[in-house]
Amino acid sequence: MRLPDSVTGSFLVVLGAASAYGGWLLPPVPGQPVGPNVFPLVIGTGLALCGLAIVFGIGHTFEEAEELIPLEDGQAAAAPPPQGKFYSLRALLPPALLLFYVVAADRLGFIITAAIMVYVTSTALGAKWKLALPLAALSPFAIHLIFGKLLRVPLPAGLLPTPW
Amino acid sequence: MLKTLIEAFALISTWEVIIAMFAASVYGLVIGSLPGLSATMATALLVPVTFYLSPIAAIATIVAASSMAIFSGDIPGALLRIPGTPASAAYADEAYAMTRKGQAELALGAGVWFSAVGGIAGVLSLMILAPPLAEIALSFSTFEYFWLALLGLMCATLVARSSPVKAIAGMFLGLLVSCIGIENPGGVPRFTFGLTDLFGGIEPIPALVGVFAVAQVMRAMLTPEPPPLPRRKFGSIMAGQWMLTKKYHWQMTRGNIVGIIIGVLPGAGADMAAWVSYAMSKRFSKEPEKFGTGHVEGLVEAGASNNASIASGWVPSLLFGIPGDTIAAIAIGVLYMKGLNPGPTLFTEKASSMYAIYLMFIIANILMIPLGIAMIRIAAYILLAPRSAIMPIIMLCCAVGSFAIGNNMFGVVTVAAFGIIGYVMEANGYPVAAMVLGIVMGTMVEQAFVTSLIKSDGSILPFFERPVAAILAAMAIGALLWPVMVWVWRKVKPVRTGAAATSR
Repeated sequence: MRLPDSVTGSFLVVLGAASAYGGWLLPPVPGQPVGPNVFPLVIGTGLALCGLAIVFGIGHTFEEAEELIPLEDGQAAAAPPPQGKFYSLRALLPPALLLFYVVAADRLGFIITAAIMVYVTSTALGAKWKLALPLAALSPFAIHLIFGKLLRVPLPAGLLPTPW
Repeated sequence: MLKTLIEAFALISTWEVIIAMFAASVYGLVIGSLPGLSATMATALLVPVTFYLSPIAAIATIVAASSMAIFSGDIPGALLRIPGTPASAAYADEAYAMTRKGQAELALGAGVWFSAVGGIAGVLSLMILAPPLAEIALSFSTFEYFWLALLGLMCATLVARSSPVKAIAGMFLGLLVSCIGIENPGGVPRFTFGLTDLFGGIEPIPALVGVFAVAQVMRAMLTPEPPPLPRRKFGSIMAGQWMLTKKYHWQMTRGNIVGIIIGVLPGAGADMAAWVSYAMSKRFSKEPEKFGTGHVEGLVEAGASNNASIASGWVPSLLFGIPGDTIAAIAIGVLYMKGLNPGPTLFTEKASSMYAIYLMFIIANILMIPLGIAMIRIAAYILLAPRSAIMPIIMLCCAVGSFAIGNNMFGVVTVAAFGIIGYVMEANGYPVAAMVLGIVMGTMVEQAFVTSLIKSDGSILPFFERPVAAILAAMAIGALLWPVMVWVWRKVKPVRTGAAATSR
């Protein structure tokens, strides 16, 4: 997911310009020279300037110097993981599962949706079914007990209501 | 004073507070000891629970969990060479070297003992610094608040261990996020794109959970599992600590002071304090050659430092609503939620609550010694839990917790979105902490800025006219220019040495 600085910088320039323009379109407070328009204008301009600086590599020297500072390198060096073509896309699994929760929780209910989430995450991290299955079966009930019962969060019941 | 102290004791001696504090301590110790789960994440996941607690119990959980997590990050650092929290990264190698020399007890004991001492020093600084600062802060106008907030944001970019330009960009991103919604000077929908869910703005807490917890689960998807912990028998853990205290009392004091200062600086937290103190200890040591080979001196200083910064990080948070570090940023959210709005008047109107916070910090740090020793003894069993069993639970807590904050599904969408944002930013060297501060402080900065502009009729001059404002302005601008000066200095220095070499 490491992108070149020119890409992230250009993105910031566009975002900054867009927000500055968006802010500029907003009306000021009646009878005042300033209002909700000023702040986005300032921030957008600043962001665009930072983006430009990043594109031109200003401040890059600091980053390289920084990589030397973790002297003895706190993280234990591990063998590089096997890299498939779509390997890095695995990182998108957690947010995708959260969106799945948003879509499915009301229909399927908390217990079922949560069990699916737990099972998928656990398997993706390398768990065998012997661990993932009991975990998926038990942890939703435990979380429901804490949040639903003790803290009274209205978790959707859906197809499988809890016994309490 | 005595009356408020008694009131404070009454506030904290309820069963709810005691149970909440104990449970949060255990929770903090466990989360902190698991590699990859930071103290900030532990605190962020705790927020939905604090919703349903009384104000004092809510703060108790945060105080206890954050202090404990910072200490217990030392455990896998010493035993596995993998820091449990970023705050332990600075000296994980040193502690691991001690374990290999057969001094694991001494290393971990120093972790517990000097963490507790550091924590208590931090509370003392909070007790001593906060009231007089509150007195000064009472006379602040919006101009001072604007510069103070700006100074806080600039400090956050200065201490980020990355490119200052990227840090500033991260800060602007956070401020931009805070622009969303109708809570602005004109009360008009801003950057909502017609979505009613965005009218209320982006809540800081789901954003924090996304950036710190979901992004961490995303990274776990791509990194190999850490090795299991070898089981070992520990001897006495506290033996020799008193001797160390006497031998290294000066290092300990210096660590405490550095930790307190870094904690008070907005945006710089425990990890920064540990790095600075460890480096300082090495620099001023009488035996610097021993560093890196399993020498306890750096551990004493850095361990005393990172825990001191936790408590002193609350000073700017309670006084101005400017978070001292990311944990304090979460704490501010909880304070607002519980009607303890940060500000100088907190110390006069809610004095007993303030004393209760001090007391809870002291109790948490005393409790750390027995609980920490127990934790060290059972750490081998806890660290047996595979990542594939912990991360799914974290995911569930993210989903349920972010839903619980507003009882609507948009919170979960926010968490997912900020998970991706946090992951991409981290991978490309944009400091996430700077963005978090931007989100938390955005509304305050804008309000101070626009109100000041209206008062000054659009002129810039009054921003510098009041003496305190002028000093703060000079500091903020200095902080902005500091990276430029460092850059110039670096450019000039090699030239000069090069010239010296040729002239010779």
